[in-house]
Amino acid sequence: MATLPVSPESIIAQFGPSLNFPKPEGIPGRDEPDAVVKTHCCFCGMQCGIKLLVKNNHIVGFEPWEEFPFNEGRLCPKGVQRYLQNDHPDRLLTPIVRVAGKGFEKTGWDPAMERIVSEIQRIQSEHGNDAFAMLSGVSLTNEKSYLVGKFARVALKTKNLDYNGRLCMVSAGAGNKKAFGLDRGSNNYSDLAHAEVIMICGTNVSETFPTLTHWIWQARDNGGQLIVVDPRLTPIARTADLHLPVRPGRDSALYGAILHQLIKHDWLDRDFIANHTTDFDKACEAVADYDLDWAERITGIEKAKILRAAEMWGPARTSFLLHARGIEHHSKGVENVLACINLVLATGRIGKPYCGYATITGQGNGQGGREHGHKCDQLPGNRDIENPEHRKYISQVWGIEEKDMPGKGLTAYELMEAIHRGEIKGLLSICFNPLVSLPNNSMIREALEKLEFYVAIDFFLNETARHADIVLPGSLHEEEDGTVTTAEGRVTRIRKAIDPPGDARTDTSILLELANRLGAGKHFSYETSEDIFNELRVASKGGTADYFGITYQKIEDNMGVFWPCPSEDHPGTPRLWEDRKFKTPDGRAHFHGVAYRDPGEVTDADYPVILTTGRVVSQYLSGTQTRRIGKLVQQYPEPLLEIHPKLAARLGIRDRETVRVSTRRGCAEFPAQLVETIREDTVFIPYHWPGKKSANQLTSGHLDPISKIPEFKVCACKLEPTGKLAPSPEVSQAWASV
Amino acid sequence: MFTTLNLAALLTATLATLGLVVSIFVGSRNLGNFDPALIAYLFGCIFACFGVVYRYIVWLQRPPTWRYFVRGWQLFFSGKAIVYGWELTKHFVVNFLGQRFIRNRGKALGYGHFLMAWGCMLAFAVTFPLVFGWIHFGLKPGGIDTYEIYTFGFKTAEFPLHTWIATLIFNALNWSAILVIAGVMLLMRRRLTHAGQIAIQTFENDWLPLLLLLAISVTGIGISLDYKLMEGRAHQFMAITHAITVILFLIWMPFGKFFHIIQRPAQLGIAIYRKAGAEGPQAVCPHTGEEFLPGMQVDDLKTVTAQLGCDFTRKDGKSHLDYSPRGKRALLARAHLKARAESGRYFG
Amino acid sequence: MGLRMNAFRTDQEFFLDPQRCIGCHACEMACAECETNGQLPMIHVDYVDRYFTPQTSVQICMHCEDPVCAKVCPAVAIEKDEYGIVHTAKTDRCIACSNCVNACPFGVPRKIQPMDLMVKCNMCYDRTSAGKKPMCATVCPSGALFYGTREEMTRKRPNSSPVNSFKFGKQTVKTRVNIMMPKGATELVVDDSE
Repeated sequence: MATLPVSPESIIAQFGPSLNFPKPEGIPGRDEPDAVVKTHCCFCGMQCGIKLLVKNNHIVGFEPWEEFPFNEGRLCPKGVQRYLQNDHPDRLLTPIVRVAGKGFEKTGWDPAMERIVSEIQRIQSEHGNDAFAMLSGVSLTNEKSYLVGKFARVALKTKNLDYNGRLCMVSAGAGNKKAFGLDRGSNNYSDLAHAEVIMICGTNVSETFPTLTHWIWQARDNGGQLIVVDPRLTPIARTADLHLPVRPGRDSALYGAILHQLIKHDWLDRDFIANHTTDFDKACEAVADYDLDWAERITGIEKAKILRAAEMWGPARTSFLLHARGIEHHSKGVENVLACINLVLATGRIGKPYCGYATITGQGNGQGGREHGHKCDQLPGNRDIENPEHRKYISQVWGIEEKDMPGKGLTAYELMEAIHRGEIKGLLSICFNPLVSLPNNSMIREALEKLEFYVAIDFFLNETARHADIVLPGSLHEEEDGTVTTAEGRVTRIRKAIDPPGDARTDTSILLELANRLGAGKHFSYETSEDIFNELRVASKGGTADYFGITYQKIEDNMGVFWPCPSEDHPGTPRLWEDRKFKTPDGRAHFHGVAYRDPGEVTDADYPVILTTGRVVSQYLSGTQTRRIGKLVQQYPEPLLEIHPKLAARLGIRDRETVRVSTRRGCAEFPAQLVETIREDTVFIPYHWPGKKSANQLTSGHLDPISKIPEFKVCACKLEPTGKLAPSPEVSQAWASV
Repeated sequence: MFTTLNLAALLTATLATLGLVVSIFVGSRNLGNFDPALIAYLFGCIFACFGVVYRYIVWLQRPPTWRYFVRGWQLFFSGKAIVYGWELTKHFVVNFLGQRFIRNRGKALGYGHFLMAWGCMLAFAVTFPLVFGWIHFGLKPGGIDTYEIYTFGFKTAEFPLHTWIATLIFNALNWSAILVIAGVMLLMRRRLTHAGQIAIQTFENDWLPLLLLLAISVTGIGISLDYKLMEGRAHQFMAITHAITVILFLIWMPFGKFFHIIQRPAQLGIAIYRKAGAEGPQAVCPHTGEEFLPGMQVDDLKTVTAQLGCDFTRKDGKSHLDYSPRGKRALLARAHLKARAESGRYFG
Repeated sequence: MGLRMNAFRTDQEFFLDPQRCIGCHACEMACAECETNGQLPMIHVDYVDRYFTPQTSVQICMHCEDPVCAKVCPAVAIEKDEYGIVHTAKTDRCIACSNCVNACPFGVPRKIQPMDLMVKCNMCYDRTSAGKKPMCATVCPSGALFYGTREEMTRKRPNSSPVNSFKFGKQTVKTRVNIMMPKGATELVVDDSE
């Protein structure tokens, strides 16, 4: 049974989220630390360099790391406050076990491990190996991501392993593989500095990747122009040369219309198209009818602006196109990505200085984590689990029979649906909080309640882990050595600063012991994180994401190495495609015909308003970490419904009034924030909060057919004013909402 | 401060000093009750009196200070003496006697300063009347076990010798020294361990006052301990160093950190100014639309800044000072946006 | 005994450019971390008017040549040092009258009523006096806050001019901190009455 053992309120009273504030009188030892550890921020894909100050095995503060080349000391508020997840009152210090009616009680490692192993074995013998699933996350290092992939296939012997990258950039990954045969941002960000035009598509850089802003501003200082596509006027869009407030879910129509204009005005690099690409005709054919009138009607953007975008993008000599979740979180996320790539390929501006294209990977190790095999269809080195040669190579590296290698499993949302249907009975999760982060979360809750056995590994008791039978206390980012790969494709070193507190253990040691107890010990004999990395290097060798030439020492010496790096004397590859040798089977970049289609759910008389969701700067993902840091919570304490004053006036909604938002999945109440910076047909709710304050009670479970990413960015909703002004955030305590 | 002679300050300080001298003559019954051993201290006190009053008057003449000084007394005599009297009493008890605002600035600082300040206060209460000859002690005639206290030559109290009361009274300065030493220790520890303090402290402003008070207290206690434990062998040394440190303290009083002891009561004036302001009409920021300050204070600030040669009058006749701090920041950000927008480029 | 250091880099200056600000509050969080500030931020980041725009104002102390805050202080608690840094109120003198809070044309000082104390930015004196950059300018992800030499700034932003003269109504205020303006500008007029 995986229902909550006691009321959520009593779980919260014991395990939080509670808010950690620094003491006004200062933190002893900060002025004379024992060690200053150069590592990276644990949050987004920028992986900013930061120095942590350590005293007596405690993190006592931070200092900017000004020498690290990407961020040069720059940080966002989350980075500044990240050290406060240490010495946190909510930290799990021992294994805990669910006792119905009593809550969670402390237990020892031995009894916890024995019970976990016996439950795994019981479920797998009764229902088959695949009835026990594993969910993982890409806040984990490359080593742990690799280990999780191997653990699930070799120790758990299940095909059902997926990860929270499924909610992140899988659409971009799939699109990149289709177009380029390789999944990585094509350039490092220093190529932004002299780009003549930068087009930012569906990414609120100023709030989600603040430290990337510097590079964009630098381009503008050098005379570059900025186009921002976003339904909201975000801080990065405020001063943009052109802001295209696209109607959510209509992105591919916009990019199709721009391509139509490029073709019409012959703003094309015909040599590049002829010599290095295929299927340009298909792309042309798809957009043949996408004239400005049509585009204005579909996208809701004035046609003059669309034309202007084409005029800016088309003739430029250098350019950089960036996109993120805004175009990827759609039931046609891959199509949106391909439509963007078409614009890059049509102008041939790739693989040259200041000519680039990249998705901005969101999660800390969103890049590295999606390359080494904790994705349901993937093996290390970004290999395909269904490709016989790839299976053979990895089986040999792992020392198993190829026939014992499981096949392709279910993706994250589908996996929860399978739990809901009763096909999957047991779950091991690490670093994933699907109850907050997956859409349609009342279904997720029901699914969790149906599990026969659920074990979670985490450092805090996140909302999902409250449903667990056993929770094992894992490690924070700064408690284990490893590497991560930044959104640029730069492999960097995460350095261990302190030991896990109390009886908490490193995630690696937990997985290794479980593997051992499951009888797979001989495949998991690592002494250090570096041992795991060295095996990963071999496993990735020859794959598209080739890390073979990267060593810990080399990362140290160069402050990071860009993959692919196939041999130890290879310097790494900051800019892809300079050789024009794409990784597709035919060695060419592929255009795709992207015909516009509607999102999974469109507005109608019952649900007449578009709902879109996103992030705020002070919170990160499901908030397991950031909803526990006092000042970050105070900066934006509760989710607000952003609504245009004209729409509000039509519905009789006042500023700060509580508004009931309903969709076909459920309803929830949020205070209204009237702003002229959003489209009149769209409302926005940020998603970091749990329970009744969760935006994902409302979002839809429509998935992209290729990437299986859920459609977080668009659904249809209905708004009703309640007539009551919302109480202050202190009253609602949204950060710990039930 | 003393670079150019300030006539008003000179006159007031001279008068005050003369007044002190006269009161010493009168209070000690023509020096009849004066203890000649304390003559050096007396001159120190007289100098300190002149210096402190001179500096106080110079200080009062600054336009903002004078404005508050006048306002304070105006309010006090505005017929609301009871309301303001109560406000003053509250403030006096909580923030003067209790020093709560200092504890709010930091616990170690609060407790350290509380002990040190009360030690000093007690010492002042004993030392000044003794030095001025206003108080003296004598054996009650006709016995050997009762002591009498004379104030301005009049007998005011008596107490039996060899009791705890006597111990308490005779050692009053030792008790005050113990308080001061405890307080100074707490504050020095803070100055040695608190990174924030270390970063910005200076010797003259932060360490010298503590060291001086410590020296006064240690030598003061030293005199007593010397009698008790060393039969007075170190008396000469203790007495001279004590005298030197105390006189240094007195002479430094008008110039250095210790002047804040004299200045601090102005806070009481601010308390009633704030009270009066809160009761009057409030200024509303044209940008935020919210009340931010008593109208009286905005008007006073306009007067004071004008006296200081600043003119914040805008083209529309309003003053920049009519805006709240947040409004002022928004005005600047908007002006900058406008300038950038007019140039056609936000960047570069 | 630790006394304040004298490694102040007089060749380095502060350059502010509010239009680059993305309102992330990293500066504010970092400012509060400073041991001298006791978890109180000295920098201000506010929405200008969120109803209309996500524009934010970002304001550090401009360190005026003739600081109005010091002039209107009845307690002589605010002083400018030999490097032109206008320091926060002396704790022993400040009587929390809030004259400085409301007279500062940039809206910088804050009053902390329970402490009966004004606090303000001292350009990270603990860091700058040791030759380091202020914390806010080090972490600022958008370059809205920049600390370095004039040459660096000219090289990085060739089409802007640092300006340190402001006009608030009829009053001209000159500051140590610069604001980046369109090339050729010499003054920022802060008076929206037309």
